[in-house]
Amino acid sequence: MLRYTVKRLLQLTVALLGLTLLLFAWFKALPGGPENRLLPDDATDQQREALRRALGLDEPIWTQYVEFLGRIVRLDFGSSLSSGRPIATELADRLPATVELSLFAIVIAIGVGIPLGYLAARKRGSWLDFIAVSGSLIGICTPVFFLAAMLKVVFSQNMGVFPTFGRLTPGTGFTEVTGFRVLDGLITGELDVVGNALVHLVLPAVALASIPLAVITRITRASVLEVLGEDYVRTADAKGLKPQTIRARHVMKNALLPVVTVIGLLLGSLFAGAVLTESVFAFGGVGSFVYQATTERDYPALLGFILIIAVSYVVLNLLVDLSYGFLDPRVRVRS
Amino acid sequence: MRTSRTTLARRAIGAAAGAILSFGLLTACGSDGGSDEDAESAEDFDFTCPEREDAERAPDEEANENTPFVFGTPGDPSSLDPVFASDGETFRITRQVYDTLLDHDCTEMVPGLAESWEQNDEGTEWTFHLREGVTFHDGTPLDGAAVCANFDRWNNFTGGYQSPNYTYYYSKFFDGYAENDPEMGIEAETNYAGCEADGLTATIRIHEYTANFPGAFSMATTAIVSPGSLEQITDDEVETADDPLPEYTQTADVLAGTGPYQLAEWDHSGQAVTLERFDDYWGETAEVKTLIFRTISDENARRQALEAGDIHGYDLVAPADVQPLAEGGFQVPTRGVFNILYMTYTQGHAPLDDHTVREALSHAVDRQRIVDSVLPPGGTVATQFMPPSLEGWSEDVVTYEHDPDLAQEMLADAGHEDLTLEFCYPTDVTRPYMPAPKDIFDIIASDLEAVGVTVEATPITWVEYIPTTRSGDCPLYLLGWTGDFNEAYNFLGTWFATETTEWGFDNQAIFDGLAEAAAEPDPSVRAEHWAGLNELIMEELPGLPISHSPPSIAFAPDVYPMDVSPLTQEDFSQMYFAAE
Repeated sequence: MLRYTVKRLLQLTVALLGLTLLLFAWFKALPGGPENRLLPDDATDQQREALRRALGLDEPIWTQYVEFLGRIVRLDFGSSLSSGRPIATELADRLPATVELSLFAIVIAIGVGIPLGYLAARKRGSWLDFIAVSGSLIGICTPVFFLAAMLKVVFSQNMGVFPTFGRLTPGTGFTEVTGFRVLDGLITGELDVVGNALVHLVLPAVALASIPLAVITRITRASVLEVLGEDYVRTADAKGLKPQTIRARHVMKNALLPVVTVIGLLLGSLFAGAVLTESVFAFGGVGSFVYQATTERDYPALLGFILIIAVSYVVLNLLVDLSYGFLDPRVRVRS
Repeated sequence: MRTSRTTLARRAIGAAAGAILSFGLLTACGSDGGSDEDAESAEDFDFTCPEREDAERAPDEEANENTPFVFGTPGDPSSLDPVFASDGETFRITRQVYDTLLDHDCTEMVPGLAESWEQNDEGTEWTFHLREGVTFHDGTPLDGAAVCANFDRWNNFTGGYQSPNYTYYYSKFFDGYAENDPEMGIEAETNYAGCEADGLTATIRIHEYTANFPGAFSMATTAIVSPGSLEQITDDEVETADDPLPEYTQTADVLAGTGPYQLAEWDHSGQAVTLERFDDYWGETAEVKTLIFRTISDENARRQALEAGDIHGYDLVAPADVQPLAEGGFQVPTRGVFNILYMTYTQGHAPLDDHTVREALSHAVDRQRIVDSVLPPGGTVATQFMPPSLEGWSEDVVTYEHDPDLAQEMLADAGHEDLTLEFCYPTDVTRPYMPAPKDIFDIIASDLEAVGVTVEATPITWVEYIPTTRSGDCPLYLLGWTGDFNEAYNFLGTWFATETTEWGFDNQAIFDGLAEAAAEPDPSVRAEHWAGLNELIMEELPGLPISHSPPSIAFAPDVYPMDVSPLTQEDFSQMYFAAE
């Protein structure tokens, strides 16, 4: 197991290095440098040139790349060109919002998706199955930003049930502990903050959960259907085991394997959805930051962000792979 | 000293005659009476500083004390020390906190912290007589020494602070620094010659007059910060241009100004800056106690937040949203115009170097249609490269009326019946002077096609747009500019000071005239120069001035808004929650 983990970690390092090279080359190939965003429209060519020099953008590309790598190794991501703040600070400030939102979304997706998929498989061909299958198809097909905007029109503007933007009503006093508003409110006992934060989370989390929910429902359904047809399930049934035992020990445990893999992958892609959801709800997390960095050609910020996302993505995948060992002994044996 | 701005603005109206019908429908609330009435109200419409239509309302004391006023902004500010900023979102906030020596009332330059000011004949010595009894938020009184401390500090900036991404405006006004850092690319010597304080008087000297003065003293970047709070700054050093700004510019507890509001909090993750009323403000104290500027970058999200009652006002309303908002009971006061949208004829591309062709194309474009269908209320057709509110706007410029037949004829005379022209426009952006680039492009392109010109559309993303157009690669392109202060040089000097690839024309009379005007310290003589230059420029016809367009701002029904400003320099202390 240890050997397997080390091998995977080495593979990851190589993959990440390749990624930095690709990203760097790609950003440099994009036309239009950051100096055009940083300076007002009427800046003279001399001022633009001066800024390019001052930012080191006139140096050969590989020099810039080596410098970039050197900084990464020292865990210095540089400062954002648009806000002038260190990227690490920017991300640290905004990450809790995105993580909180993503966690809520994935909890919704798992909490609804797995039972729904399971029930749909058990009652195959029923109306429930029909709703689950067609609903998840719609869920997969609906763009997140569209759904987010629709939810907002219906529930915020027309019904006035949920707020249109943000994590808390502006002006709400709160004590920052971890940066997760709900958790902070629970820690400090500011229950009004907890309620306020939850109300703000509902619409963005539902919007963000839509695709993972659909995927999880479908995968669970398919996987449960497959397992239900397996010999060992019929055997267990024939042995006269209680249906609950069969479902828990034989069906679910085996059916969940592919679902876990998918959840790992989905967690990574949640960040992509968060970029869109956050901008619709002005949520102020990493997503809004990345959106801004993209439009402003803020290379250091984008590189820093993508690297962090990439690292978390591959680490999540590694964890998922390792968790197989616990869920499925065959993996342990093979490695 | 100044001719009345109303007169100047009225002159503009001739040029903008029929804009108004559609516009009158929007502004003359509830007048479904017939077009005569609308046309009449439009006739009186002042494009520079439209008169308010709403009556004064009684403040709701309780709400003003207890409800934070939330204003939706399109972007985050960059620094709470205004000298390091060059963007409107920062200035919107810092203007409430710090005061400048001079200020604008509508577009007229008026006293700010200085009760009065004078200049010597050469325009190299500016004496400001400061108001009495002004205190900073930290309790220090304002005096001449405080003013000088700020100017001296800026002049002595070193290292990364000299990079134009941090001190763009300062280097624009004062060229260089006490000691220029060779790494930062600034070569010009400083134009700042020192500051002398004597009680409530501060005298600022420059080596050589440029037309940036006295406008520079009204810019949000040259706002006066308490010397006491400057001393508290401990991390005031930035070595290179990509070093982050020091932490004190990012937190609300260091700097103090003299404005109606003081800094309370900057919540970076919540993208909100909170200001609290300053009760010892030298002017009229604000009604609203707590003011929150919250970033909502998406235009639709801002509108929805206002409609749902989550915010109380926002800026940069999409022109298409103005009417629905007004119909929904929201207030969308009309700003005056202070910008220009133009289409360049880049003369590096034949046959645009042929004056007849440029003239023909100008006659082909129906600019009124752009004003009517794309711009928000208050927009108007431009006759020259600056808005009518500026000294030096000329009513005697050659105008090019919409006349497609004449255009076709002229093109035939010039031998260009089958002209093909590449036409660039930006794709992913709206600018205050250009609300919907593609729509504007479509109208012009169809007008050009109507007179037989084949238009090759070239959409370009905004980051590439400025470099591409500057390099002269686009024969036709749309661009514009919003003024910083009331000075024609701030417009004309931006484009026509010398031969450039982006315009591609070589007209020494214009270049020389501009240099002469820019060095003329007497404002009235300078205005004459500008007027003559505007006439000269419109004869040369380097491009077609299209329109002046006011960016729209919106407020909730229960708010009594401040006077809106053509320079987007709104004073939030004037606004409050109204009782009914």
